[in-house]
Order: sequence, then structure tokens, then C-alpha cells
Amino acid sequence: MAGRQAKFNQHVLVDTTPLPADIPPVTEIGASSAPLLSASFFIGARCRAYNDDFMQCKTEKPGRAELDCLQEGRRVTRCAKSVVEDINKHCLEEFRLHWTCLDKNNQQLWQCRPAEWKLNKCVFDNLKLEKTIPGAPPNETPVHLRKHQKYAHRGP
Amino acid sequence: MPQDLPPSGGYGPVQYKRNLPARGFRPAVMLFGVAGIVTYGFWTLGKGIREHNELAREKLWSRIHLIPLLTAEEDRDLARRHYADLARERKLLGSETSAYNSDRYVRPTFAIAPNSVTK
Repeated sequence: MAGRQAKFNQHVLVDTTPLPADIPPVTEIGASSAPLLSASFFIGARCRAYNDDFMQCKTEKPGRAELDCLQEGRRVTRCAKSVVEDINKHCLEEFRLHWTCLDKNNQQLWQCRPAEWKLNKCVFDNLKLEKTIPGAPPNETPVHLRKHQKYAHRGP
Repeated sequence: MPQDLPPSGGYGPVQYKRNLPARGFRPAVMLFGVAGIVTYGFWTLGKGIREHNELAREKLWSRIHLIPLLTAEEDRDLARRHYADLARERKLLGSETSAYNSDRYVRPTFAIAPNSVTK
């Protein structure tokens, strides 16, 4: 399929044949963009190795990656799924607060810092995952921890 | 008839200079004041740009952490459709014939719509 799913005016005509039985099934992540954005740095913190493995596989097998990297892809999805499930288990309230805020604010991270600080603290206390931005200047406060956000419409 | 003559002692001085009050600060003070305001503005602008760069870095890395996940999901979907296509072809033609002279995976340009509504 090119780009988007096949859709006709009258009916939804999608090929629903499942994967062959010799390929193990995996539960998809099943989260929309705002929760994924909210959890992205924790996914990165826990699943960095799996992600790098998958991307290396994609690079090393040009043209065959869609079919040959399914195993690495399943690992990536399982790891990300575990992060989202853990956050749901321990920090559901803070998580919801943050991603609804992101949804309401055009998914601009700097509009939702108070909710993000609460989520980061809860996730660090329970899951020991910390948000770090790679490549940030070492002598400055990381941008997500600054008390005054220059571009926020209201609040810090 | 006596002629008109200047008054005794001569005329008073003629005012040919403008008599406007010199308002505001001295020019040098104005110059340095404006320079200070502009410097402060550019300093603030620089800080804003730095913060903007950091926010862009944050957004970029949040996406980088998600890309393998999203790619994996899409790849599974493509593989599922590909294998379904191959199975359909085997069932209909009894053989697998690739249109391409390579074993690379090619994203199909056209999708085969099923006879009946499947969903």
C-alpha cells in the first residue's frame, strides 16, 4: 500500500488477512500521538538498545528490511508497550494530566511543564526512568527543568 | 515736513534666533541610551533563540525515540499485506512471479480490493 490505507466512499475495503502463523504475533502499542509524545523520553530511556538494534538492522538490509527486521521490530514494540503499561500502572493520573494538556496545547511541550514535572517525578520514583535530552549544553539547566518558560502562554 | 527718523538711542535688537526650549537629554545621553536599549533587546532576543533551539532539540529527540516503534508497526503491516498478496497469488496462479528482477521488497503501487466488504 502506498502511503495511506485504501478507502472508498461507500465501504472500508482493507485487506484484513492476518500475518502468517510462523511469525509470532505482538500486541501493537495502541496509543495515540499525545500519550506517545508524553512517554517518548521514558521509552527512549528504557528501550534505547532495542531501538538502536532495530534501526541498525534497517540500515544493514536495504530493500529487505520490511521483511527481515520483524524480530527486532517486535522487540521494540514489546519494550515500548512495557513502558506505557508501567506508566499506566504507577502514574496513571499524572500521565493523563500531561497528555490531555499536550492535546489541548497543540502538543507543545513547553506549555505543559508543571504536569510534566509531576509525571517525571512519579516515573522516576516508581520506574527509575529519567528524562534526559542528549546533546544539550552541559553548563545550562536542561530546558524541561527551567522554572520560567519563555514561550509558555501562561504559567511557568 | 520733518522726516521719519530712528528713535533716539537707536532701534532695539532684532530677534533673528529661534527661541525654542531645548527639550530632552543631551544628544550624547540620547545616543548611549538608545544603544543600551537596543543592546538589551538583542540580548533578550539571543536568550529567546537559545531557548528555542533547546526546545527544538527536545522535540527532535522525542521523535527520535518514537521512530523505531512507529516504523516497526508500519513494517509489520506492510509484511502482512505482502505475505497475503503472495498467498493470494499462489492460490490463484499456482506460482509466485515477481515483476521485479531482484528480491527486494517493493511497496505495491496498487492494492487489491477484496470482492466483498471485509470490515
